[in-house]
Amino acid sequence: MPPSQLKQLKASLRESGVVGPQQSKKQKRQNAKTGVAAQNRNQRNAALQAIRDRFNPFEIRPTATRSKFEATTRDDNSKKATGRRPGVTKSLGEERRRATLLQEMNSRNKVGGLVDRRFGENDPTMTPEERAAERFARESQKKMRKESMFNLEEDEEEFQLTHMGQSLTLDGTTVDDFDGGDLAGDLDGAESDEEASRKRKRFGEDDEDAEDFIDFGEDGEDQPERKKSKAEVMKEVIAKSKFHKAERQKAKEDDDDLREELDQELPDLFEALRGMKAPAKPEPAKQDLDTMNPERAAMLQVPEGKDTEKEYDQRLKQLTFDKRSKPTDRTKTEEEKVEEEAKRLKKLEEDRLRRMRGEELSDDEEVESDKDSFFQGDEDEEESEVDDAAAFGLHTNSYEPRPELAVEDEDDFVIDDDLVETRSNVSLSLDRSDIEEEEISSEGEGEESEEEDELINGMTLPTASSAAASTAVQVNQTADGKLAFTYPCPGNHEEFLEITKDVPTQDLPTVIQRIRALHHPRLHADNKAKLGRFAEILVEHVSYMANEAEEPSFAIIENILRHVHSLAKTHPINVAMAFRARLREISEDRPLNLLPGDLVVLTGVSTVFPTSDHFHSVTTPAHLCIARFLGQCSLNTTSDFVTGAFATSLCLQYQAIAKRYMPEFINYILNALCNLAPTELSAKKLSFPFRKSQESVMLAPSKKVTPRKLHFRDIQATPSDSQAEEDLKISLVTTFVSLLDTASDLWAEKSAFIEIFNPVRTVLNHLRQSFKNKVFAAARDPLQSTLDKIDAHLARAQLARRPLLLHNHRPLAIKSAIPKFEENFNPDKHYDPDRERAEANRLKAEYKREKKGAMRELRKDASFVAREKLREKKERDAEYEKKYKRLIAEIQSEEGRAANEYEREKRGRQGKR
Amino acid sequence: MPAAVDASSSKKRKSTKNAGTPSKRRAVAEEDGFAETLSKVQELENQIAESRKYYNNIATLISMLNVEPSVKKPELAVAVSLCRVFSRLMAAGNLSESSRDAENEKIVVAWLKERFSEYQRALLSIIREADTTSQVTALTLSMRLVKEYITHIPGADSSIWSGLFKDIIEALVEAQDGEEVRAEFVSKFMKEYEDIRYQTFTQIAEYAATRRKTDIIEILISLLSACDEAPASDHEIDTENFFAKPDPSNKRLRTVHGHKRRAQDAWLAILRNNLSQAQRKALLRIMVHTIEPWFTRPELLMDFLTDSYNEGGAISLLALSGLFYLIQEKNLDYPQFYAKLYSLLDADLLHSKHRSRFFRLLNTFLASTHLPATLVASFIKRLSRLALNAPPSAIVVIVPFMYNLFKSHPTCTFVMHREIRDKKFAAEIEAEGMEDPFDPKETDPTRTNAIESSIWEIETLQSHYHPNVAAIARIISEQFTKQAYNLEDFLDHTYQGMVQGELGTGEKPLRKVPVVEYQIPKRIFTDRLLEEDGGVDSGAGSFMRGLWDFSS
Repeated sequence: MPPSQLKQLKASLRESGVVGPQQSKKQKRQNAKTGVAAQNRNQRNAALQAIRDRFNPFEIRPTATRSKFEATTRDDNSKKATGRRPGVTKSLGEERRRATLLQEMNSRNKVGGLVDRRFGENDPTMTPEERAAERFARESQKKMRKESMFNLEEDEEEFQLTHMGQSLTLDGTTVDDFDGGDLAGDLDGAESDEEASRKRKRFGEDDEDAEDFIDFGEDGEDQPERKKSKAEVMKEVIAKSKFHKAERQKAKEDDDDLREELDQELPDLFEALRGMKAPAKPEPAKQDLDTMNPERAAMLQVPEGKDTEKEYDQRLKQLTFDKRSKPTDRTKTEEEKVEEEAKRLKKLEEDRLRRMRGEELSDDEEVESDKDSFFQGDEDEEESEVDDAAAFGLHTNSYEPRPELAVEDEDDFVIDDDLVETRSNVSLSLDRSDIEEEEISSEGEGEESEEEDELINGMTLPTASSAAASTAVQVNQTADGKLAFTYPCPGNHEEFLEITKDVPTQDLPTVIQRIRALHHPRLHADNKAKLGRFAEILVEHVSYMANEAEEPSFAIIENILRHVHSLAKTHPINVAMAFRARLREISEDRPLNLLPGDLVVLTGVSTVFPTSDHFHSVTTPAHLCIARFLGQCSLNTTSDFVTGAFATSLCLQYQAIAKRYMPEFINYILNALCNLAPTELSAKKLSFPFRKSQESVMLAPSKKVTPRKLHFRDIQATPSDSQAEEDLKISLVTTFVSLLDTASDLWAEKSAFIEIFNPVRTVLNHLRQSFKNKVFAAARDPLQSTLDKIDAHLARAQLARRPLLLHNHRPLAIKSAIPKFEENFNPDKHYDPDRERAEANRLKAEYKREKKGAMRELRKDASFVAREKLREKKERDAEYEKKYKRLIAEIQSEEGRAANEYEREKRGRQGKR
Repeated sequence: MPAAVDASSSKKRKSTKNAGTPSKRRAVAEEDGFAETLSKVQELENQIAESRKYYNNIATLISMLNVEPSVKKPELAVAVSLCRVFSRLMAAGNLSESSRDAENEKIVVAWLKERFSEYQRALLSIIREADTTSQVTALTLSMRLVKEYITHIPGADSSIWSGLFKDIIEALVEAQDGEEVRAEFVSKFMKEYEDIRYQTFTQIAEYAATRRKTDIIEILISLLSACDEAPASDHEIDTENFFAKPDPSNKRLRTVHGHKRRAQDAWLAILRNNLSQAQRKALLRIMVHTIEPWFTRPELLMDFLTDSYNEGGAISLLALSGLFYLIQEKNLDYPQFYAKLYSLLDADLLHSKHRSRFFRLLNTFLASTHLPATLVASFIKRLSRLALNAPPSAIVVIVPFMYNLFKSHPTCTFVMHREIRDKKFAAEIEAEGMEDPFDPKETDPTRTNAIESSIWEIETLQSHYHPNVAAIARIISEQFTKQAYNLEDFLDHTYQGMVQGELGTGEKPLRKVPVVEYQIPKRIFTDRLLEEDGGVDSGAGSFMRGLWDFSS
């Protein structure tokens, strides 16, 4: 049985220390002095309140649904809230309503009024003194606080607290008292508040506390009566630390001065050591100053000036913002340069290989997610609508750009000397010597090279003059065919043709060179675009030249192509677009009969662009163009075959590095050989699609015909007589055979080498059979050697052949359907995997709760209002009643008095009588 | 009725007038003569209408018609007016004799009939030989006669169909430069009127029963294939839609079956005639859509199709779809179908025009999961062999097709991945390399041993020069996560399309800066600065310079 209520009360009072042993008088006094007593009183009140609550059975009401058993699904907070305190909440609500609703009620139908917003005005707990003190503190704080770093307005105070017309600011006096000579103060002033705040931040928490503590100690002595605000304390701390810092700096500077002085005296000391007296220096101080920093010297000269110090501070501040100097790169030695160059080349080569494999470039290059566009088949699985072929880039009118090398810096170019305009004298004269041997006499050449010198010397002439000169080109071109120094940059091919109309073909490279020199991008901002256009024109001109001229001069074409190449480094897009335009023209106008110009352009593609790239916006279409030609072109005349031979050679050149397989190449060569062979091969044996030429181009085997090197002009020219034609045929055969020879080397590693080259061997064997004893040995020998080589390759391929093992993949994980288990599952939490639905549910619940709460509040408000009204009415009634009673009483007393008077009168009269 | 005739004839006259103005000067002279003849013809015609005594004018008019084989331009006005005359006579009943008529009446009718047939012959010869305008007019006139005859002379339709109409068809088929008149016939009569179509089928069947020349057959085919829409079986043949009122006793004319039967006969007659290769191909191409719907018994096509299929080459390819139709619908048993199909996979297949068509069918044929794996493997291996010499557009079909086959026949995946467990065999392969067990010469697809082989060819194509093709070839070495590729997406690619895909059609700025070869070669064509390299040409492009002479 628990003890009685009284006993419990006593026990709890003792426990909480409300009642205890009596304190002595001394103790009490001491406590009162240190303020412990007040603290104790507070504690006691709190304890008493707690005890009262505990012992009041009506104060706490248990929750409506009592928890009967412990269950896992029970919420923690419901367990915590064991009971609620209706009395407290009710009185709180009442209080709040009285503060808000009642105010509103009272001010209803009333207009205007005065709201006193002064601090603490409505706070009845504050004494007027406290109020005044707090207001003052706030005012000064407001001034100290900076709203924003960039607030310019703050300086001008809008209003100030004044007393008797004098400002009440604290720092006013300190400013006045400020000692200008004091470096600490100066520094303090110079440092902006911003800096101060930064420094404040820099202090660690511990430091702050420690200094706080120290400061308390110090300040406690001075002004024990008022506790300082945190801001004030901090300010003091900062001021102190700055002061110390300035002290340290000053000490250091003093030391430096001293050291300098010593340094100056050192020569004297040496002299003294040597035993000789140095000649007196005329103005030691001045010399001293010369060696010093001029600013510092100026400062030393006027040591006491305030301005100097200010300037010094400014300088110092500037210096803090100066960039730290770094060690410059060492000048490189020749070997290092060579090594670096080699490294660069190696990197470029590695990039090429990476592009060849279709990989993305290294991280420093721009990476585009081309892989996605290439292998997005897997992602497309869900969408049945998606074109499967499109996943492989097979949709029309779309091409995926590959990641490319970023254009190198212009200075990095490895440009051959003769392609650079600056110092082309030597190489160019060499160049032209093999071009113009017959054309130009030696003296003419000398003259020209002199001109060249002049051109190079005048290289840096401004563009304005060049533009002016460009109009006078025709004038400049003298009658004896000397070249003009300046040419305008052509805007299209016709203009270029117009410009070079009178220029002999041999001088074309010079003209191009001069145009490039005159429009060097460094000379004018527009020149870059102009040269880009010029590069496109050159590409067009290459094909034009090869098409126009009966026998194009390949030295010139080569030179132009190399110009194009060097321009391509600065204008890759222009050149690529120009080449693509050529290719488009080919594919639209004459896909199946290529002109010499097209062949030259395709050759140009192979030199200007890397043909080994997995994907390249120029070489890939170029490949397709060649392959299409080989796959579908007609095989009727020998010149068809010559064009084909050139195209097949281009194939091999394209694939020299990447070694990719081209089915059309093999098809074409085998077809050509079958058509050219002296005897027919029965078509049944062939495992490749055989196209027969419409007119027979069979070789008439005879001992007379001799193979020769094919000439580019054979493409256009028709052989003059049958002998020449037979010569051409046998040379075609040998060319094709040697192409096969090279191809067998290229593709020796391919896993299907046997399948590819078995038909080749069949055809070559047939050729050998039909050549037997009929043809010149010069044609037979390469055939035999090629056959031997292919046989060797075949044997090797046979040895290397293994069954395919393509699917050594890690097996795919089976899709798991195990339910997801939640650690620490809480039934009150919603684990809805659908985020949106969960969110919606949450909102719904919140809405419901809020609505419920709002309705309850409204209801309570209404009852409060009703209660208030009733109370008011009662008050009014009571007042009325009171007044009524008072009046009645008044009247009654009046009446009574009158009655008394009457009585008295009556009695008096009666008395008189 | 005469009014209608007038209207049509006046139209004709106008058109003849337009056609008959070769040159201006002559035109003036001719204009006078023309007006003169016109008035004369009109006068003669009016006289005939007036009285019987002017019947001799008919003979005059026929002689005026001027149909010599040498004359290309007959007097069309005369022909038109004669048509009017005979129409009137028929309407008046003057052209039919009755037993009650007097003897002299009978003589007149007989004489008129003689003139009528003379006129018919003249019209037919115009159709055969004259110029295009006259042909068309003559055709219209003779068709008009057919119609008038059937309308006004009861019980004569079978005779006119087998008589005049037959002649018209013959003349049409044999007409010189007759494309236009035939087109006119097809659009104005054959497609318009169902009875004309019926009769045409009948006549063509009869006509093609004997062996004809190839160009004639060409014409017949074009006439027949013009009717490409066979009536549905629930189609009602409406006599309203007839050219002439038919004989009510002729029931076949009113049933769809009857019509189809005629068409079938006509087609069969043509198929049995001597066809050139090109015609055979053309027929095979329209077989499924145009010919087969007309057949009430498609199995009659069996002979033709199997013959074509056995022929080999492109014809076999084309016969496939028809044959497949028969196999599927009519339960045709074709022994060695797959062996034949396998033999179709020859070197030219992938370069053929009919490649897509073939692959669509092949996809259907190999779709069955009940096929033996050996057979499917043979097809896979054969296709991969062919892919080595195929254009890129074919390779992009083959590889996804193979993928689908691998998916439905997982046993075949051994050709992609084969681990040798047998130690002895493994050692043997290690020492000597693997001999390809596939026998390319074997014609039976179940005995080629392809399933023991590997598809090295496709692996080689993974380094195809075209990046997209290489990427597609690479799908066989990646995990087979995709259920199947939609073959249709890969079928119709061409070089042109691929080049255009790469280059685009117009100037579009490149999205990426293209890489440029970092080293400018010292030489491209010539031997420039060769001595610097010690006289040995080893730089890029030396290969080309070794093979070609660029010096001028």
